[in-house]
Amino acid sequence: MKKKIKDDSNAIIVKNVSKRFKLVYDKPFTLKERLVFWNKTKTSYHEVLKNININIKKGETVALIGVNGSGKSTLLKLMTKIIYPTEGTIITNGKLTSLLELGAGFHPDFTGRENIYFNASIFGLTAAEIDNRVQEIIDFSELGEFIESPVRTYSSGMYMRLAFAVAINVDAEILLIDEILAVGDKHFQDKCYKKLEELKNSDKTIVIVSHNLESIQNLCNRGIWIHEGKVKLDGKTKDVVNEYLKVCG
Amino acid sequence: MIRELYNYRQLLKSNVRKEIRGKYKGSFLGVLWSFVNPLLMTLVYAIVFPFILRNSQEHYTTFIVIAILPWTWFTTSISQGTNCILMQGQILKKVYFPRIILPLSIVLSTLINFLISCLIILLFLLFSGIGFSWYILLLPVVVITQFILTLGIVLITSSIDVYIRDLEYIINFFISMLFYATPVLYSMDMFPKKVQMILHLNPMATIIESYRNIFFYQRMPNILGLAIVFIISLLLLILGIFTFTKLEKGFAEEV
Repeated sequence: MKKKIKDDSNAIIVKNVSKRFKLVYDKPFTLKERLVFWNKTKTSYHEVLKNININIKKGETVALIGVNGSGKSTLLKLMTKIIYPTEGTIITNGKLTSLLELGAGFHPDFTGRENIYFNASIFGLTAAEIDNRVQEIIDFSELGEFIESPVRTYSSGMYMRLAFAVAINVDAEILLIDEILAVGDKHFQDKCYKKLEELKNSDKTIVIVSHNLESIQNLCNRGIWIHEGKVKLDGKTKDVVNEYLKVCG
Repeated sequence: MIRELYNYRQLLKSNVRKEIRGKYKGSFLGVLWSFVNPLLMTLVYAIVFPFILRNSQEHYTTFIVIAILPWTWFTTSISQGTNCILMQGQILKKVYFPRIILPLSIVLSTLINFLISCLIILLFLLFSGIGFSWYILLLPVVVITQFILTLGIVLITSSIDVYIRDLEYIINFFISMLFYATPVLYSMDMFPKKVQMILHLNPMATIIESYRNIFFYQRMPNILGLAIVFIISLLLLILGIFTFTKLEKGFAEEV
């Protein structure tokens, strides 16, 4: 079945996807609670995404914009396969890396260098592949000698730099980035956007959630405005941003 | 699934290493604790049991150490494995990786501990004068059977534990009960045939007996019994993979 839908020009296919989250008050975690309150828990559903259809072509750079709580991050999480849609299907084509939260999987007691190995292995790299990249990653993060210190001693900016340096150097074909660049200083942000620009030109697919409308206008060639769980507008980044600013600016 | 696991082999490797080394971080003896613990247990049983039971078993310490080490492998994997998904809750919410790596690395790390602790068994055999026999070559068959059995159980319990957290406590109670139903401290021959049949419903009974046959009695293990346990374990593993892949989709929302 998979083969039928497979189309090599698409990197991400989101088809009729809806996502509902169960909202349970006093969630029954134990057997006793389950037995005693077996039909008393109030359950309501919160529909975060409603029938989303998006095709992202290989090499496209897509910005997801929208107000807080509109479902952008949920959509990214669905693409990463951290959570699964309630209805519909999501198919991704190619090696995928996501940067949803700062240094997910960093171990605070390990040094920066050890965490590079650990984090890159979470992204599916082998030791030899990491060996080849480790210097590049350290250079990019600009951590210098701090790379040998435990990560718990890092400032949030250093943390982000390391996390970003790893994620961007794992050679994924699809890169999903949630609003995380905000932590770095101007210099590092510029560097990140420059690197993203490079990746874009080397035909990688990038999906980015950001409120930094100016930067994404330069970077992305396609904008998708998500409003209350639906695609409100999909088109050239500039047009989408302008419409968005009219309503929400 | 297997290809995906292969792609993530580095993560599996570093996770297994973390399980083995990280567990005893900060303690003096470190990794040695994984061996000191069962040895101390053996010591206690070897001192206490000959007193309370009339025990005519020769080489009793060797007799029980052969059973306690695989039993420790079984219990530590089940009890650590059952809550391994919950323990890693934070990371599950943030990155994707094949979730099966978590229970798999628990069972693999405890397997490695067990293989190393087999040296202890060999030392006991050497110093008690029992010696070795060619039947030791059958050891991999028994180890693989136990591995498949344990992995199957852990896949089922770890994924259900995310949804029903009592399971952890139920399992721990169940395992300490099972200890007495498994011929670790005694030999099956003590019982009438009928009781033996009931006790053999426990797959670990056959497995522990096989270790004992290989190391202690130095005779052929019950091949038919072992084959049945192997098939049951394989079915459990398939059921486990099925349960796990079904339930893993909700992990990030439930933990």
